[in-house]
Amino acid sequence: MSLKMKNITFLIGMVFLFFFMWGISLFAEPSKGFSGFGETTDLSPDDETLVFSYFQDGNASLYTVPASGGTAKLLAKPIEGNSFINPTFSPNGDKVAFIKQWEVEEQERTFGELMIIDQTNGKMEQLTDTNNLITEAVFSPDGKTLYFLKASVYKNYSEIASKRPHEFDIFRMDLETKAIDQITHKKAYEMSGLAVTPDGKQLMYRSYGNGDQLVFHSLADDGETVVIPSGEFASGAPIISSPSLSSDGKRVTFSDVATKGKDGLFIYEAFKMDVDTQQAKQITSFHKHVTNPVFFHHSNSLIVTVDEKFGEARSEYSYWRVSMDGDQRKHLSINIPEVDDMK
Amino acid sequence: MNRTEKYIRRVLEQMQSPKAEREEMREELLMHLEEAKKRYLYEGYSEKQAEKYALADFGNPSRIGRELQESIYPFQRGLLYVIGIATIIFGVIFYLNAVFLLHERIIVWFGIQLLIGTAVILAAINISIVGRYFYLVNLLILVSATWSGIDLMMVETAPGGQAFLFSLCLTILIIVSLIFVFRNSYYSTSQTENEQRKPGLVKFSYIMNLLFGVIIISLGLFFMWGFLVFIGMRAIAFVPSIPIFLWLTFYKFQMTYIAKKPLLSLATGFLFSGVAIALPFGILVFT
Repeated sequence: MSLKMKNITFLIGMVFLFFFMWGISLFAEPSKGFSGFGETTDLSPDDETLVFSYFQDGNASLYTVPASGGTAKLLAKPIEGNSFINPTFSPNGDKVAFIKQWEVEEQERTFGELMIIDQTNGKMEQLTDTNNLITEAVFSPDGKTLYFLKASVYKNYSEIASKRPHEFDIFRMDLETKAIDQITHKKAYEMSGLAVTPDGKQLMYRSYGNGDQLVFHSLADDGETVVIPSGEFASGAPIISSPSLSSDGKRVTFSDVATKGKDGLFIYEAFKMDVDTQQAKQITSFHKHVTNPVFFHHSNSLIVTVDEKFGEARSEYSYWRVSMDGDQRKHLSINIPEVDDMK
Repeated sequence: MNRTEKYIRRVLEQMQSPKAEREEMREELLMHLEEAKKRYLYEGYSEKQAEKYALADFGNPSRIGRELQESIYPFQRGLLYVIGIATIIFGVIFYLNAVFLLHERIIVWFGIQLLIGTAVILAAINISIVGRYFYLVNLLILVSATWSGIDLMMVETAPGGQAFLFSLCLTILIIVSLIFVFRNSYYSTSQTENEQRKPGLVKFSYIMNLLFGVIIISLGLFFMWGFLVFIGMRAIAFVPSIPIFLWLTFYKFQMTYIAKKPLLSLATGFLFSGVAIALPFGILVFT
């Protein structure tokens, strides 16, 4: 075969290979978005029920399940393109507040509205108008008020940063009148992990100062106390994620860097901190990505979320019950019913 | 073109020798063929018969060409085939994996992968045409290795043990590519008019200069990948790739310079690499 023929034959072969591979890809099922358990959970006041998000093809519905595991029950399902995330129980356990989140690709931004559902009658209500960027909410101890975090902008401050919610402040909604008033005027770069102390007098949240910090905000005089946990963090300074306050308000649990993996990735574990001493101590030793620890109200345990595939293209979350000393842990086996079973 | 000339052309088709070496080879082959032909003429054969038998004695011209190529540039053509075929096979396996297991139709990626693999194999097939342009072949293989570096970052997010297996394959492919570039660079030095007095030093200088290149390409890809992950497909995310293009251009001149001044070229390579790395940081700081 001449050189010219060799070239032509080879090139035809490669063109054929390209179209063949493209053709067979048409038979493959296209990507439908993330499916699996969501990152955030909350426990009912009697510790009997866990509420969580479950994603189907990129859309998250809310489910409840016994705190020991079992078959989940659908609580609220959004319309296509929306997700229900970050659920939180009311103090009597009847209601669940959560965020309805969706993205508008043309605007390259995310929206979030405050929602509430009454478990006793299944009535769901959107509490805020459209075009907000509310990220999380928490009930006051008397259940009459919802505190929530709202970002004013969705942008990148630097050319080398991605677009994210910024200019956060804390707001309060009276659930009877639906009146909203603004509590802080910080336009904070970051705010998350909003919680209310058991006496209802202070709010706790995570923010960024010179580093990650927890802030206790007095509702009486707007005074603030900054708390920086001290402990053995592999990152040196703490990198706090998803803090949560105990029922007695004396302890905070959060996720932070415990070690570094072989590939240099930070390994996050659950930590607990005594509010008075500010001394933090590692609880879990999963050697995986542990996040969103939540206190049981009446026992010395936590529910944590573990990402089994941290650093990979898609996360795979599972929920675990862990004793406060970290010695005991149990995987919550949750069965998500098929769509037909839920009707 | 007579039969002998055709024969010599087919021999030279298998070789990557540059012009001067090719001419030398042509004259040598012609001389041997003429001698063989004379022997047959002396034995009483006709002009045509003598030429025919002389060529038959030499054997298949393509085989002779391949053997000469292997004796002057051992394994170079084979390495090109290995790199090209491995690039295509990896592309097919990773694409099928992405389409059927991860449900991601990465057809643009597959197109680029196939294009690079095809270009490398075409270079191997047409070694007599492109092989004499040593820098061009090096550039092609360095681009292929850089693309494999991008693949390496892509496969990091593959589930389970796949990431390890894919990474291993790509690392081997990159190492083979670097070995090829080193050898090809060194063979190009024999074309310089300067006599090589210190081949060990020249080899060392090529290795070190390639090492500078590997560092620049690795850093460039690492930061570019990080930017793409955090800020998405925006022009500024590609700023860290500037040193890669600068170094690839610089290596054209450095290849010859290493052969002439192996020790000094270590310093120029190091200095240029430093400047190339500093440049994007400057751009990012001042924009």
